[in-house]
Amino acid sequence: MTTDQELPMDAQSATAMFAAKGIDVTPSKDQGVIKVVKHPGLDGERPMVGDRVTVHYTGKLLTGKKFDCSRDRKEPFSFNLGKGQVLKAWDIGVMSMQKGEVCTLLCKPEYAYGPSGSPNKIPPRSPVLFQMELLKFEGEMLTDDGGITRRIKVKGDGYTNPNDGASVDVHLEGSCGGRLFDCRDVSFVVSEAEDKGVPLGVDRAMDKMQRGECCLLYLKPKYGFGSEGKPEYKIGPHKDIVYEVTLKDFKRAKESWEMDLNEKLDLAHGVKHKGNQYFKAGLYFQAVIQYQRIVCWLEMECGSGIEQQKKIQEVLLTSHLNLALCFLRIKEFSQVVENCNKVIEIEESNEKALYRRGEARLLRNEFTLALADFQQVLQVNPTNRAARAQISICQSRIKEHHEQDKKTYANMFQKFAERDAEFGKPKRRRDDNKRSSMNGEVGIKRRRRSQDCPS
Amino acid sequence: MALEQLSDVVQRCQVLSDDGYAAEDHDVFTIAGRTCIEEGNSVQVLSIVLDEQNQDIVRSMGWNLLPPLIQVLLKKEDKNLPQCLAIFNHLLETCRPKELLIGLLEQLEQDDPDPIAESLHLLLNPLQKVLLRLGSRKASSLGMTLSSVLDQVAKLPLPHTKEQEEDDVFSLCRSCTELTAFVRPFVHEVRLNLFNSSANGVFLFCSCMQTLTRPLLEAQLKDPDTLPVSPLRNFATEILNTLSAIGQSLSSLVFQPLLKRKQAPGFLEEEVRYPKESLANLAHLVFVHHLAADTFPSVFSPVFCLRCNMEHISQLSSVFEGVFPIAQELYEKSLVRVVDGSLPADLLQIKTFLTVPQNLVKVMTMCQRHDLRTKGLKVLQLSIDKFDTGAKYYFFQYMLKTSRHSGVEGYIIKNIRNQIDVALQPGNSNTWFQGVHLLPLLRKVLILPDGPETDLLQYLDRVMESLNLLRYLVIRDKVTENQTGIWTELYKVEDTFMKPLRVGLNMSRAHYERELHDTVETKKSKAKEESILSVAVGDEKLPNMTSDSHVQALHSALHTFDMIESVLVRIEELVEVKENL
Repeated sequence: MTTDQELPMDAQSATAMFAAKGIDVTPSKDQGVIKVVKHPGLDGERPMVGDRVTVHYTGKLLTGKKFDCSRDRKEPFSFNLGKGQVLKAWDIGVMSMQKGEVCTLLCKPEYAYGPSGSPNKIPPRSPVLFQMELLKFEGEMLTDDGGITRRIKVKGDGYTNPNDGASVDVHLEGSCGGRLFDCRDVSFVVSEAEDKGVPLGVDRAMDKMQRGECCLLYLKPKYGFGSEGKPEYKIGPHKDIVYEVTLKDFKRAKESWEMDLNEKLDLAHGVKHKGNQYFKAGLYFQAVIQYQRIVCWLEMECGSGIEQQKKIQEVLLTSHLNLALCFLRIKEFSQVVENCNKVIEIEESNEKALYRRGEARLLRNEFTLALADFQQVLQVNPTNRAARAQISICQSRIKEHHEQDKKTYANMFQKFAERDAEFGKPKRRRDDNKRSSMNGEVGIKRRRRSQDCPS
Repeated sequence: MALEQLSDVVQRCQVLSDDGYAAEDHDVFTIAGRTCIEEGNSVQVLSIVLDEQNQDIVRSMGWNLLPPLIQVLLKKEDKNLPQCLAIFNHLLETCRPKELLIGLLEQLEQDDPDPIAESLHLLLNPLQKVLLRLGSRKASSLGMTLSSVLDQVAKLPLPHTKEQEEDDVFSLCRSCTELTAFVRPFVHEVRLNLFNSSANGVFLFCSCMQTLTRPLLEAQLKDPDTLPVSPLRNFATEILNTLSAIGQSLSSLVFQPLLKRKQAPGFLEEEVRYPKESLANLAHLVFVHHLAADTFPSVFSPVFCLRCNMEHISQLSSVFEGVFPIAQELYEKSLVRVVDGSLPADLLQIKTFLTVPQNLVKVMTMCQRHDLRTKGLKVLQLSIDKFDTGAKYYFFQYMLKTSRHSGVEGYIIKNIRNQIDVALQPGNSNTWFQGVHLLPLLRKVLILPDGPETDLLQYLDRVMESLNLLRYLVIRDKVTENQTGIWTELYKVEDTFMKPLRVGLNMSRAHYERELHDTVETKKSKAKEESILSVAVGDEKLPNMTSDSHVQALHSALHTFDMIESVLVRIEELVEVKENL
């Protein structure tokens, strides 16, 4: 039997033919999905639930009519396995495949397009054939920066996940380079996992987990123990770690839309306090989460009456200011500017916002803009000595910059020749600094100033 | 006069180099040139512009002549049209593209539908030429142009009916078709990865998203059976093709509400780039109109599509009433593909699975349009059918608790009766619609909302369906079997439902009989006064009710009470007979 034959078949003979050559991969063994392997995979590796898998496929009716094909689109197809995103036959079938394997799946309608079929493409109650090739698979990336990767060992139930503020009961097994360093049952509040010594990555993964789920979380240092490591677990700086997490139970916190304004304002107070605590402990990422919760709650609120409106703006303003400060510490300067802008939108001459924006711009080498900010600070408060100091820094930087330009352009050809000679010599020290301290090494401050605490 | 000034300045400038023109020369050239064209001396201007010696001058100052030229070209009947067109074309080829672009965009801004469509018609092609001349330096210019063009298109009124689309009075369809032709070469450049394609791609993407909201969100697309050739449907198809061509996967866009990764909350940038309404409309085009059927993978599970579309539907039904038909269609089409009785109760944990039906009910009870109300009811029933028994159970409970509308509650109660009937069929028994679980649900049904004081006319639908359910139970379920639990619950039902209902009936009947008596009496005494009652529905005042029709209404109310009572009596008899067996 060839799997890509064009001869029309009826469902019965197709099932008989596949059953003779292939294997029934359904858990209930009802011959709903029968697989015939054409080329076995390269190594024994199989994908896990939740993995991002990439396949090429061709879907055909038993008449041989092709109804969908990724190759026609010249683009392989990716999805998260075992999450109900695709036809049942696919979740089951692909789970049984190995990397590189090519196979054909014969699928009963109950595992494919059901009694109704698909408009214009698949008639009601049609068995279908899929020729599949599993190109690759990888753990699911939970953040855009790729710092948290998840692979699910046991799938959980239900459709809800713990949100920020939810209380969760989990079992944790943390390991580093194959050595188990942490194994315990623990309960914590999502967004405050730090209080129980649970790393940021586990905390951030919570809102993607379901009740009963057991998964492996691969954490980059930013989401693990950062550049300082964790001496009590004997973990050095900049280590990748793995946590096996079982979510035993949880209770969700109220969502923004479930709360009225007064409730939000009450909660915001406590959350801000928590954020300040984290900030003081140098846990800037954790602090950011707290302040952002407040922004999220109140951003779209306008309140009734001037009194309430003022109150909301006040809270939002402090949150943005605090966020700016945190981002200044984690050196996310564009976020600093963004938050300061939000403050300045509310209050045009906010001294701290202007100052912090100035700092961020200075560190981004936008000297002229920074200079303007610090000058504005002085207009608001002529006694701000820190701003004065910053202005002279800006001015000398601008001068430096000009001189450098002048030099560069003055004897350009000689310069080019020199540069060719010293190619590769480091010349952008500031940027290098920035890069080396990306992973949570945030304790170093060059200048202390009165503005530098969350309010 | 103006002509002389123009010749003077041109002669003066001929000897200067490109950057030697004074600001004054620019001014004189602009003013004099414009006046010449306005006064009809375009023949002379044309010869100046075409003169070989003047090409440097034209290159740097010529674009200033665009406004009067475009005015003439828009008017069409001007006798100088051919000359002006020749000048215009020459300028497009000679002047610097950046300046031309600014000049053209300024002329694009219009306020009334007719001039908008006309200036788009005239200027899109020149704009395209100019942008193409910019080569690799066009990104921001392309962005600016697209945004101005779309702002203009958005001002055009939408056709609603098939005939309006065919007639295209306000030229929206023509403008859309021209817009498609306009972007084609730029899409091509992005596809081939020419020039600065990532930046161009972003601008094209944003403008596609923008058109999905305006004009396409409210444009009620006709299906091919109604309108075989539909410019708007073609336009929508082109937009989807464009998205695919510039490397945006339609499926990732459609499923974005479920697939997007975690991102910093509280920042709105994401919503600017992926406007939720645009994504929702994209889902609508894909799932309802089956556009891009060849490129959209057909291997997604129906439940997954439904889950994601629920987010879109919820978004659409919160926008405004005009968009509601779209939301309803998307809901219907998403449900149809799901197997009956397959949606588990867990899904009701997702907020939208409760809020969307609630919105549906709101429309059903408030909407002015009859077709939407009927369709709404159909879709509500469809959504009930797709739930498994457990989910149905919770859904009924939720609806009884939240709908606050006698008709809707009556409808739900009828559904409950059907489910009990199914459960009592041999081989169909389930834990939800019989025995222990059923009783809490029955307790929500078999009560009077406000006790004996309940307004029986207002709650008629609900009361009648409750009585029908009760009658069904006492007939269908045997005292000895008591599968539904009704026979052990009956003494409570008598207290919470039947007794208060009887009291309520007596009170209401007494009240209405008295009212009837009074009305008839007054009628006798004041035979001349025609109308005595004013009736208002909503804000609309209806003609005053005559005393005759008032009497009629009172009679019909009394009949209603009779009807309720007859069912009540029947139930009481049945109970007595069965209990005595």
